Order: sequence, then structure tokens, then C-alpha cells
Amino acid sequence: MSAAPAAMPAAKTHAKRRAIAPSKGRRPWTFYALTALFVFYVLALYGPMICIYILSFQDVRGGLVFPMKGFSLHWFVDLFTQVRTGDVKGAFSRSIKLAILVTAITVVVSFLSAMAFRRRFPGDNIVFALMIGSLVAPGLVLGIGVGLMFNFLGIDTSWWGSALGAQLSWTLPFGVLVMFAVMSRFNPAWEEAAYDLGATRWQTIRLVIVPVLAPGLVAVALFGFTLSYDEFARTLQTAGPQNTLPLEIWSMTMNVTSPSLYALGTVTTVISFLVIGISLGTIVLMQKRRGQRAPMH
Amino acid sequence: MRLSKPVVSWLYVAPLVLVLIPFFVVPIVVVLIASVFDTDGFGGLIPTFTLSNYLNVFTSTLTFNLYYETIKFTVLTWIFTLLLGFFIAYYLVFHVKNQLLAIGLFLLCTVPFWTSNIIRMISWIPLLGKEGLINTALIKIGLIHEPLGFLLYSSFAVVVAYVHQLTIFMIVPIFNSMVRIDKRVIEAAVDAGASRFDILRLIVIPLSKSGIALGTIFVVAIVMGDFFVTKVMSGGGSASVVGAFYEDIGVLQYPGAAASAVVLTVILMTSVALILRTVDIRKEITS
Amino acid sequence: MAIQRGAIELAGLTKSYDGVTPVVQGVNLKIPDGAYCCFLGPSGCGKTTILRMIAGHEDPTDGEILIGGENVVGLPPVERGTAMMFQSYALFPHLSVRDNIAFALRVRGQDKAERYRLTDAMIEKVRLTELRDRLPGQLSGGQQQRVALARAAITEPRVLLLDEPLSALDEQLRIQMRSELRRMQRELGITFIHVTHSQLEAIALADIVVVMEKGQIKQSGAARDVYAAPKDRYVAEFLGGQNVFSGRVGTVNGDRIVLQASEMKQVAIPLCGARVKQGDAIDVAVRRDDINLLRPGATLAGDTSSLASRVMGIEYQGNFVKVMLDPVGSDEFVAYVPERTFFHDPLDIGDVVMAAWPADHARLLA
Repeated sequence: MSAAPAAMPAAKTHAKRRAIAPSKGRRPWTFYALTALFVFYVLALYGPMICIYILSFQDVRGGLVFPMKGFSLHWFVDLFTQVRTGDVKGAFSRSIKLAILVTAITVVVSFLSAMAFRRRFPGDNIVFALMIGSLVAPGLVLGIGVGLMFNFLGIDTSWWGSALGAQLSWTLPFGVLVMFAVMSRFNPAWEEAAYDLGATRWQTIRLVIVPVLAPGLVAVALFGFTLSYDEFARTLQTAGPQNTLPLEIWSMTMNVTSPSLYALGTVTTVISFLVIGISLGTIVLMQKRRGQRAPMH
Repeated sequence: MRLSKPVVSWLYVAPLVLVLIPFFVVPIVVVLIASVFDTDGFGGLIPTFTLSNYLNVFTSTLTFNLYYETIKFTVLTWIFTLLLGFFIAYYLVFHVKNQLLAIGLFLLCTVPFWTSNIIRMISWIPLLGKEGLINTALIKIGLIHEPLGFLLYSSFAVVVAYVHQLTIFMIVPIFNSMVRIDKRVIEAAVDAGASRFDILRLIVIPLSKSGIALGTIFVVAIVMGDFFVTKVMSGGGSASVVGAFYEDIGVLQYPGAAASAVVLTVILMTSVALILRTVDIRKEITS
Repeated sequence: MAIQRGAIELAGLTKSYDGVTPVVQGVNLKIPDGAYCCFLGPSGCGKTTILRMIAGHEDPTDGEILIGGENVVGLPPVERGTAMMFQSYALFPHLSVRDNIAFALRVRGQDKAERYRLTDAMIEKVRLTELRDRLPGQLSGGQQQRVALARAAITEPRVLLLDEPLSALDEQLRIQMRSELRRMQRELGITFIHVTHSQLEAIALADIVVVMEKGQIKQSGAARDVYAAPKDRYVAEFLGGQNVFSGRVGTVNGDRIVLQASEMKQVAIPLCGARVKQGDAIDVAVRRDDINLLRPGATLAGDTSSLASRVMGIEYQGNFVKVMLDPVGSDEFVAYVPERTFFHDPLDIGDVVMAAWPADHARLLA
């Protein structure tokens, strides 16, 4: 009988100790702990990359580790002129061409697919499952499968044929998922309004849907380009006789032990950053020109 | 002409299907077929039905070790990426008050995703090596006298490289789920006397579940399907299922490799399907 | 013109999404050319579906839609001569005010000079000239509404369909834009069909009010008729301003009936030709502003119904005072007392009062 009333004050003081008091402008300890974690993460994320960029600028005496020996562009020249490092120039141009091709197809196909997935249609779950399967399947296994298939069909594998297809099986699911997120901000009434005002289906796509979704399409393009440009597992067995850049880097990790490797890392990262910068810049510019987002309910 | 709605939908989705069938469905079927064929030992396939390839996969201790190693790396990577990803997302959503700053920091975390994974992995070499930055620094401050060998070309290095590459796959979906938590719900919990830990346990984690599931799918699929990081960062000390597959292909042992690949793919797809039962990706992405 | 081009007739209009449960069920309605018609009902009553079927954004499962005497079912929106103003307007976020309004002309392939000449004239009409180059995101709610109206009107429709056009606005703006809608309707001289869940909006604007429930029309007619003479309990309660009592017929007395319940002895209800017999369950409506609250013992004027009651709550409303009385059975009982009358002799909660109204003003509901 007396236990219950006695328990109450105990519970009360317990609650008091644990409950969060209104902050008096001071941050809780968790803020500092998590800030430390975040700083650590960002340092670990960028630190190593920055190390190799720095090390790639050593002179001829340079090695794979610190300390930095001299300062020159020696290894960049080496990269593009030495036979030992393989056909880096060719690999670059192939990778960029392939990435552009993949980007174009990914943007168009993802956009069309997302248009279809806006409403349910018979078989939509099967297509969706195929897409997720293609996304999570082990890349190398898929690549071998594509290689064997081309073998059976008697077609030579090539970076612009079999590798293109193998990469699309990876970039398209990504692209469609990103498009889903983009589409979810599209008010279907915009499309209806266009029909209501007499636009044809094609006019509606051209004048309303694509312009409204433009920033999202740029994001899909960014995904398409970078996923293709860095793709390795699916390309390895499908690229045919001519390497793409990641394959070139892979073979260099196996047999090149000079800062050339780092120089290649620096160059390819510069290209990645250019692409990221251009894409994000374009998106920001578009959003800015559009001013405030139109309210959507 | 007015087309019926399902026809229009199928026209829209047709290009996707036309890519997925030849470059996902058929290749998987090809591997499946190869896995039940015999080999002449020189790369030729003998089209007879046999299950001996699967028998080999299930009876060899070597394959058992491969799967053990692969699953070990998957679990370790999953734990570390989840912890890091969860708390970083938590920090960005609940501790960074300035929204513009939060988005900026979020982008800061995502930018490396768009750069080469291979380069990001290689970049650990000058840090973790015997003469690397960490060992040199530790010796200099007198903490150790001999360089630590386990830093590079070891399981440790493999996990570091995976976590480095894949934490982003946790941060993005978890961040996405957390941003949608109504801040007033948290305030209501504070009003009710909940502690920070109560809020985390009873509100934030349950409401971030779908993000965690989505991140898990990516991390598990990528680690299980990868061979590159294990090969380079373990210095040959560890192998992986896909790595062995690659070696087998190198010596033209297609059927054995294919059987192992099929087993791996089945394990992977089953795990993903199980995770997908707990989260509706389409709803998650579009809401 | 023989057939009025903006006249609308709905005949047996039915819509079901799953083939089983109808969202709209056998709706018949005639709307004359140039009328302002409001569909009124709670969300999910099918009013928006009807609007979308008239617009051509959805196909009816059954029935006909005639505009200007011609069945338009199956025609694309643009061939119907209708234009729709969407809920929250659906202005194209990437186009300026001018290009939003010019959209219909653009997709018709009209050349730029002509297109902008017509557009600018329309912009003038809705007083948006200074905001011509703004994007929708930079406009206020009221300005957005005007753009939406102009965008729809530039197609020179015979019927303008408005889906909850005022719901995105705050209270004050809503009243202001309400009169603007009416002004535009008069200026354009076309049929307006306006969907709303606000009875205030409907009776303020409409020539014809159509009250809907569960996919069916409950009552339609002039705003004043529907408000003052609701046909049944649903309409009376949805439009508000009425007390609805249910009870059983006690005695029929010529053209008056008296209810069974003992506290209702002093209440007489005119029959108005309805046929009821003793014991029938009936609903009776009495307007809240018809009720006089008198202190006990006050003398009643001749031919007055009265009910003894008690004050349960008082709410000051500005121009009148809402007095909540003791419920009659389970029915709410409220009197709207003009402000000056109330404060001449203010009542207090708990006061016993006599609620009285002219006997003729009570209405027997269906």
C-alpha cells in the first residue's frame, strides 16, 4: 500500500535527472561529441585523397609515401608519355566518350521510365524488381555473363558495345531511382493544366515536364556520367581489347609503383570535380533563376 | 488516337526493359546455364547437365572460407558504415541549426561519391603503409618503436577502404528519412520528459528505419559483389567470393566459377529481398 | 443563338474507379448558360470528380455530359470549350506570368507578336501588368489566383471550371478574391462551375447551389432557396444556420402538426401539403436567427411556437451573439441573437429562457 506513493517521488526525481532542460543558449555535450565525429569523418574522407594529390607533384626522386621529394610535374608528363603506364591518353578519351554516351541514354531512358512509374500499370512490380536486381547484382558476375553472351552470339566485346550495355544495367536503375525522387516533386496538375490549355502530349513534355524537371535531369546526368566514368566491375570483362580509364588504373595498381599512379588519380579527380562543379552549378543556377519554389500542395 | 493508359506506361518503360533484358536477365541466365555445364578444362563448355559444380561449391572448405571472409567483411563494413552514417546524419539533421549550413555539409559528405572509388582506395596507401604517414607520426611521438604492420595489406585496411567508400550510402538515405521527422514530435517527447537516449531509441531510430534499410541494401550488395578492394587492400592475404570467381575465369574454369557466382547471387538477392520486405523503396523515395 | 453555348446538362452521370463503389452516382443537373454554379459538399462527396469529368480529365463510367447541347464525353479537354482553374492553381513554375497566360496560345501555334498582344490585354484585365515578368513563386496567393484565372480565360472558354479556387488563400483574401471571381464572371459572361466545401462561399457567389453527398445531389437551386428552405436534415445541417429537431408526430391539426414529446407541446409545425400521420418520425428545421429568447413569464405574441430552455453557453460573434441552449433530445439548439438585442438584457449561463419563434417559420424536412 505504501509502496506506490513512495515510488512516485522517486520516479519524479529520476525523470528530473534524465529529462532535457531547456537549453540556456548552451549546446548539449552530444553536439561537441558529434561535431568531433563529423570533423574526423570529413578528414578521413578527404585527407587520403589530398595526400595523393600532393604526392603526385613530386619530382623524379618521388616515391609512394611521404615525405614529399621535390616539386614538379614530372609524373604527369611521365603518365602520358611512358609506354610502361599504358595508353592513358586513349583510355581517357574512351572513358569520357563512353560516359557521355551512357549519360545521354541514362537521362532519356530514366526520364521515360519515371514517367511510366508515376502510376501503376500491369507488370510494374516486375520491371521494378528487375531494376533492383540489376542494381544489386555482383558487377563482375554480370560482366562475365555479358561477355559470355557476346561470345555465344559471336559478337566482339567492345567498350562502345558490350561495355556500354553492361554499364547501363548499373546506371539506369540509379537514374530511375533518382528520377523517382525528382518526380515526386512534380505536381500532376501541371500536366493536366497543360492538356486543359490544349497542349498535345509531346508539347506537354517539351514545354512543361522537361523544363520543370530540368534540375533533376541534370542530377541524373551527373549520376550517369560519374557512375560510368568510374565503373570498373561490369566493364572489366566487357570492354574488349581497349581499356577504359578505371581498367587502366587497375592494371597500374598491379604493376606501376611510381607516383604516376597518383598523377593519374589527380587528373581523373580533376575531371570528376569539373563534372560535379558544372552539374551542381547548373542546378543552383536553374533554381536561382526560378526564384522561390512554387507552392505545391 | 487515344492509347489506353497501360499501353502508354509500357511504351514509356520499354527502353528500360530493352536494356535490362539483354544486359541483366540474359547474362544472369547465361551464367546460370554455364554453372550446370561441364568443362573440358581448356575454357570449352560441354553442354551436359551436371550439378557437380554446385557440389564442389558446397563441399570445399576453400569456398567455405571464401564465404566466411566475404560475410565477415560485409558485416564489419555494415556495422561501421551504419554507426558512422547514422550519427553523421543525426548530427546534420538535429544538431546543425542553420539549414543552409546543414545542406552544405551534407554536400561535402557526398562529393567524393562522384569521384573514382579506385583512386579513393589507393589513396590510403601513403597513409597506412609501413613508412606511411600514420606509422611515421606514431614513431615520432614515441608511441611505438616499430611500424605497425597491420595497418596496410590487412583485414583492417580492407574494412577502412570499404567504410571510406560506402559510408555515403548510409548517410544519404538516413539523412533523407531523418529530415522528414517532424521536429515538433521531438519537442513533444521532450515535454513528456524523455531523455536524449529515449528520443533516439523511441523516435529517431524507428522513424529512420527505412533509410537504414535502404543504406544496408547498398552496402551489403556492394561489399558482397566486390573483389577489388579485398584483393588490393589485403595484399593478397584475404580473398573474396567474387575474387575467386575472377581467378577461376582467368584460368578458364567457367562452370565452377559460374556455380559459385550463382550461389552468391542467390544469397545476395535473398538478403535484399528480405530487407525490401521491411521497406517500400518506391514510397520511401517518392514521399 | 438557338442553343445556349455555355449551357450544361448532366444526365445519369456516374463514375466508379473500381467498378463497384460509385464516386458519382446518377447525377442529373441542368445549368443555364452564363450561370454561376457552386457544387457544395464535404471532401469525398464526388464534387471534384464531376468537375473533372466535365473538364475531360476523367471519363464517366456512365451517363452524358452536354455542353451547349452537344455530348462531349470522349472529347479531349481542348475541344470541349471548357477551361479549368486548378486547386492551388498549378501555375507552371518555370514560366513567367506572361508565358503562363500565353501558354494556350503558344501550343496553338500562334505567332509570338499576336500571342503577346492578346496576353497583355488579358494581363491588363486582371491587373497584373507590373508583375508580368515575375515567376509564380514570386507572387502572393491572390496574385497567383488572378494569373490562374487569366490563363484559363484566355482560351475563351464557354465554361470555366474552378476547383476549390479560394482554399489556398487566407481568410481576408478569400473574401476579397471571392468578389473578384464574381466580377470576372459577369465581365466574361460565361458559365462558371465552382467546387467548394464552404457554404459561406457557395451562398455568397452562386446563382445555383448544388449540395452533394456521397456522389449524389441532395438539393439544387437558388442560393436563397437552398439556405432558407433546405429539403432534408443533411442539407440543413451542411448549410448551417438551422436548428434541426427530430421527433414523432403527435397530432395532426388541419395544416399544423404538434409533436409527441411533452416539452414540445407548444411547438406547431406547418404541414405545407406534406402527408404525415400520427407516429411518423419527422425532422423539423427552425432558423437560428428566427429564435427570440425571452425571460420566463414574458407574454408571447400570437401564433408563436415556444420551448422552455436554459442557456448553456454564449459566444460573441460581433454582429450577433450565438447562444447555445439546452439540447433538444440529442439535437443541438442554438439561437443567433442580434448583438444590440442581446446586450439590451444580457443573458448569463444557466439562465432559464423561453425560446420562441413565429410558428410559420418552422419547416418540416423530408
